[in-house]
Amino acid sequence: MKKVFFIVIILVMAILCILSVDIEYGNPKNLDVANYYIDQGLHDTGATNLVAAVYLGYRAYDTLIETIVLFVAVAGVVFCLRGKR
Amino acid sequence: MGSSKIIKTIAQKLFPFIVLFGFYLISHGHLSPGGGFQGGVVLGTAIILLALSHSIEQTEKKFKSRWLNMLEKLGILTLFFLGFLGIFFGYSFLGNFLPLGEPGQIASSGLMLPFNIAIGIKVFAGVSVIFYALVRYRGEI
Repeated sequence: MKKVFFIVIILVMAILCILSVDIEYGNPKNLDVANYYIDQGLHDTGATNLVAAVYLGYRAYDTLIETIVLFVAVAGVVFCLRGKR
Repeated sequence: MGSSKIIKTIAQKLFPFIVLFGFYLISHGHLSPGGGFQGGVVLGTAIILLALSHSIEQTEKKFKSRWLNMLEKLGILTLFFLGFLGIFFGYSFLGNFLPLGEPGQIASSGLMLPFNIAIGIKVFAGVSVIFYALVRYRGEI
């Protein structure tokens, strides 16, 4: 049963790899959001660093949750290393 | 287990420059490559260098574990507080309510500098706390 499962997974991945050869990676169709950030990023947020304009201006929620992820990671490390007390 | 005199001296001389570089990365995060996360990790590296060259007890005397724990929580609370200040001033959550200023100056782009400082303090305290926990509960240096 396990062998059949693995063979099916490998076949599906092979089909996906073969199908992905035809995709044009250099010419994607949906560049509207990226072009908007490049054009209006300095005007909207006032930051000359576009990366900071995206991760602190347009997507500040992402950064907030990322700090919470780090906080939980620190708490988990301390909890796991402390052992039984 | 003490290091040799050369390592101790070079680590002492290198420490302020690493701290300065970390503060530069944090405060210029909205102008040039860098930001809160990277600058915080650089600040944490300074403490790890001190602890590896000198002993861990000397380092813990200067940078107390209790204060680092408090700083970490303070960073997250500052982020939430700044986000709710946006609602208080009539914008969305985490919205910018400060004037944008002139692009390229250090006091431009509104809330990004306080956000970067809060994230930098939080990451610095988190990295140091992880290092202290590893040293204290899993062996000595």
